[in-house]
Amino acid sequence: MTLTQSVAGLLPELCVLGALVLMLFLDLLLGRKDIRDPRSTGQILTAVALVGTGLAAFFVVRTPDLPGVMFGGMLALDPFARFFKLLFLIVAAFALVFAAMSEEIPRARLGQYIILLLTVTFGMCLLAGSRNLLMAYLSLELVSIPSYVLAGFRRGDRRTSEAALKYVIYGGIASGLSLYGFSLLYGLTGSLDFRELITGLTNLAYSPQSKLVLIVAIMMSLSGFAYKVSATPFHMWCPDVYEGAPTPFTAFLSVGPKAAGFAVLIRFVQTALGGTLEPVIPWPQLIGLVAAATMTIGNLTALVQRNVKRLLAFSSIAHAGYLLMGVSAGTDAATRAVELYFVFYLLMNMGAFLAVQAVRARTGSEDIDGYRALGSRSPLLALILAVFLFSLAGVPPLAGFIGKFYLFASLLETGTMFFYGLAFVGVLNSVVSLFYYARVVKAMYLKNPRGKAMPVPLGPGYSVLLLILAVPTLVLGVYWQPLINILSTAAGMAH
Amino acid sequence: MKVPLLSAMVFWAFAILAMASAVFVAFSRNIVHAAFALLGCFFGVAGLYLFLSADFVGIIQVMVYVGGVLILFLFAVMLTGKIRNPEKSNPSRAIPGGLVTMLVTLGLFGYLAFTTPWQVLPTVPTGPTTSQIGDALLGPYILPFEVASVLLLAALLGGVLLAGGVRGRSRLTGNEQDEAPRDSGGNT
Amino acid sequence: MDRWDGGDMKELAEWVIRDLFSKNPDTWQYTWAIYLAGMALAAVICLGFVAVFAGPVTWVERRTAGRIMSRIGPNRVGPQGVLQWLADGIKNLLKEDLIPDDADKPLFRLAPYLVFSGMFGTFVVLPFGANLIAADLDIGVLYLMAVTTLVVVGLLTAGWASNSKWALYGGIRSAAQLVSYEVPIAFALLVVVISTGSLSTQAIIKAQGGWPWQWFVAKNPFTFIAFFLLLTSAMAEGNRIPFDLPEAESELVAGYNTEYSGMRFLFFLFEEWANLWIMGAITTLCFLGGWQIPGVSPEKISASSGWTFVGWQLLSFAIFAAKVSWIVFIVIQARWTLPRLRVDQLMSTCWKYLVPMTLVCIAGVLFMDLYIVQGGITDKIIRWIMTLLGAAVIVLFFLRARYNYKMDKDKYPGLRNEKMWYPPYRMP
Repeated sequence: MTLTQSVAGLLPELCVLGALVLMLFLDLLLGRKDIRDPRSTGQILTAVALVGTGLAAFFVVRTPDLPGVMFGGMLALDPFARFFKLLFLIVAAFALVFAAMSEEIPRARLGQYIILLLTVTFGMCLLAGSRNLLMAYLSLELVSIPSYVLAGFRRGDRRTSEAALKYVIYGGIASGLSLYGFSLLYGLTGSLDFRELITGLTNLAYSPQSKLVLIVAIMMSLSGFAYKVSATPFHMWCPDVYEGAPTPFTAFLSVGPKAAGFAVLIRFVQTALGGTLEPVIPWPQLIGLVAAATMTIGNLTALVQRNVKRLLAFSSIAHAGYLLMGVSAGTDAATRAVELYFVFYLLMNMGAFLAVQAVRARTGSEDIDGYRALGSRSPLLALILAVFLFSLAGVPPLAGFIGKFYLFASLLETGTMFFYGLAFVGVLNSVVSLFYYARVVKAMYLKNPRGKAMPVPLGPGYSVLLLILAVPTLVLGVYWQPLINILSTAAGMAH
Repeated sequence: MKVPLLSAMVFWAFAILAMASAVFVAFSRNIVHAAFALLGCFFGVAGLYLFLSADFVGIIQVMVYVGGVLILFLFAVMLTGKIRNPEKSNPSRAIPGGLVTMLVTLGLFGYLAFTTPWQVLPTVPTGPTTSQIGDALLGPYILPFEVASVLLLAALLGGVLLAGGVRGRSRLTGNEQDEAPRDSGGNT
Repeated sequence: MDRWDGGDMKELAEWVIRDLFSKNPDTWQYTWAIYLAGMALAAVICLGFVAVFAGPVTWVERRTAGRIMSRIGPNRVGPQGVLQWLADGIKNLLKEDLIPDDADKPLFRLAPYLVFSGMFGTFVVLPFGANLIAADLDIGVLYLMAVTTLVVVGLLTAGWASNSKWALYGGIRSAAQLVSYEVPIAFALLVVVISTGSLSTQAIIKAQGGWPWQWFVAKNPFTFIAFFLLLTSAMAEGNRIPFDLPEAESELVAGYNTEYSGMRFLFFLFEEWANLWIMGAITTLCFLGGWQIPGVSPEKISASSGWTFVGWQLLSFAIFAAKVSWIVFIVIQARWTLPRLRVDQLMSTCWKYLVPMTLVCIAGVLFMDLYIVQGGITDKIIRWIMTLLGAAVIVLFFLRARYNYKMDKDKYPGLRNEKMWYPPYRMP
């Protein structure tokens, strides 16, 4: 494929990049002291960024699949990548609106926030298509480094700084480990390309003396991805960062980079480790065990949380565990189930964090105690939050149930004992998770407020956004077939 | 293959320089001395690059690591208060755990390094590599090259944002800040 | 016996093995010894040269300063004071070597060597003449940039290890300044590298010619600007006034070398004066045609043999040294003419003016290289215009000096009987 064709295939990313550069100049021009009006400046900047992401989404939908790979094998533009790019752009659009509404992002610095957010989005889009270790690593860093800054965006707040620092340190270690793993893979096969890796690795896998180095290399390589999806043992950063970061960014972080990590993880295990390596190096079992550990730890720790953002952080760790089950199964059906789950997860998790943001904006509290009697103080907010939480728990007839249903079904379809067991662990975990989601709901409806019960008024912006997220959660829970049809080809990967 | 004496001498000189400095960095209680010891480590590694006939990479290693990274390290270390007191700046904790980790990693990676059938590239005669690297960067690796520049831009912006708050002003826009630190609810 | 037609020390060593010992350098078992001897020889020659240059130039600088300040300057040791530098050197050697009690002693001792080796390392790739170069590295210019970073580390070390706030300020300032000014220097060098297509110092010189209109400075308007940008940045990199904030005596006593004395102090001074040569050599080789002899092509030099060859080498060295000395003199004069910048002015000069301008120059040179045919008529016209412009700048420089002198002569009666230009034997 020629360079021109490759660049044409890169149009969505270029739109995001263009918006980013434009934003740099706009922020400089509009932010000048003499013409400064933070509110309207913020609106203009958000609008420009939204137009950029919208344009990018348009190009994602419009560009036809490219038969080959772009930039000499660096990137692929296949249905799989396009699905995830669209998902990222939607997440980014929501996050932009969240940020514009939040009081945690100071108006005067909204431009900076948007610039960094767009950089992360750019990185995520590249990550979805990466089919080369070099590209995957660069895109991972492109997602990580601005995220560190965004996590510490509120200056002068000890908890935010702590969150950012923990994020950086864990991120640095994970990234170093995976880089070492990549270098081992390169040393073994002499190539960084996923497709070439699998032939090289398969040739090696049958010689007994290289089995150990293969296991070490693969485990180390996977650690970078595991960190991004917050899988055990790289999940420790998650609660602190989710709690300390500004809520709009937490919402973004819990869906966007996680989905990006899953995208590259799925592509890596399916194209670079693939099926031929499986008999020698049991990577599906390995990932399956990590999945079981991740969801169990996430759910059990969530039971004792008192801060809602921390609770949602552990819930997102648990969800990473569920999704990892799909990765470990490795079939097309499982990939589609993961993608379907991410659509629902986007709705319910972003929704839940938006509700948290709304409560925080009015009461300044993130504690479960602050949610007491929310049912009477703000009926709509409480109702919608309950919908999101029950959907996260996987209670029928909400969208989350459908997501889990397809995920477990894809596991059972494989027909091996290991995945039966894994699915059983998953179901058990779902039951456990119901407890802590229900605790929040209980606080909202069954507990009396401490002190005087202040009403929590909900602005029109929050109401509309919450409804935008809540209605599909309800509707897709009973009528999901169109989504399945759309996703029917979305597991396809370029070769 | 018989290695010429001079080559062997140069190799061992660089290898020992790099290793000795690295060991000093790891074990020195004085952080400033450790940071300075990095100098030897960087030069040793650069020498090894040169030895692998990667002249461009070797020189870039010196430029970036000695000229940039090390200077920033020194800045950070020197501007930190009480850095001369090892009890405060560099306390030894969890020595048994660290020792076990070190021995296990050392054993594992040492074993792997010597037993693995690595892909060995054919030896090429030493020669200038700069133009080849340039061609590669603007040829097959054009996308990573450009993405790396975006990454650096993002890191630059991030650095400015994080460091720019000292005077309560946003450096990127020059705006006064309207944020007040605010405690966010309860704790676990 | 075969001619020595090599470019650098390595080839000299190989020639020695092949022709003096009649052995194959690839297989002979003592090759390494000859290589080592070659390296040592190159190092000794360069060191000797640096010492012989750095010493007298201190005297030149002090006499120039005296002239500019309407006083005399050192004139006691030797005729016109030319041996002043020897006296100073001996005095410094004999002084007690003090190390402050609270200093970080190993680092305090190490710092001067770091600074000195960073400075001295550049001489590996600096040519002195047509074939006079220690090693014609393929990455010469990059090597220059890389090895000078050692100076930064050394200054920072000196500042910190002294355990004195003046020294620390000086060290930190110098590090900030040097790291910043490396950027415009690298970009200005990039302009040259783009024009040449090589990073080797000898290749850069060979891409130019002996006549002024063949130099890179006259190649096009962008290289013309880049020359001045490089000169300015190099002055900052060498801690010269107006950029000598690390040792601003009015604020910092003497900056990073406040606590040093004796031999170690001498090392810092040595580095500073030798830096003048490096500065001049870099600008000369990049923009002023290096050692190119007008009318004699490098091929002709390497095709010659015997004493002709030696003669060409010496002539090329003389030309190179003359150009460098001229630059050095300008830098010295700037030191005694311009006031010192403030720290914030220093930084904004670099980041807000020099860096963007060098970037524009890079873009411009790329454009010119793409659209202007080398040796074409447009190229020739541009080169002539640039040469005339350069000549005009020099003429303006002399006119300005004369004007200032006349102004002063009217104001200060003490100058009334002084001639404007000294006779040659009293220069400067």
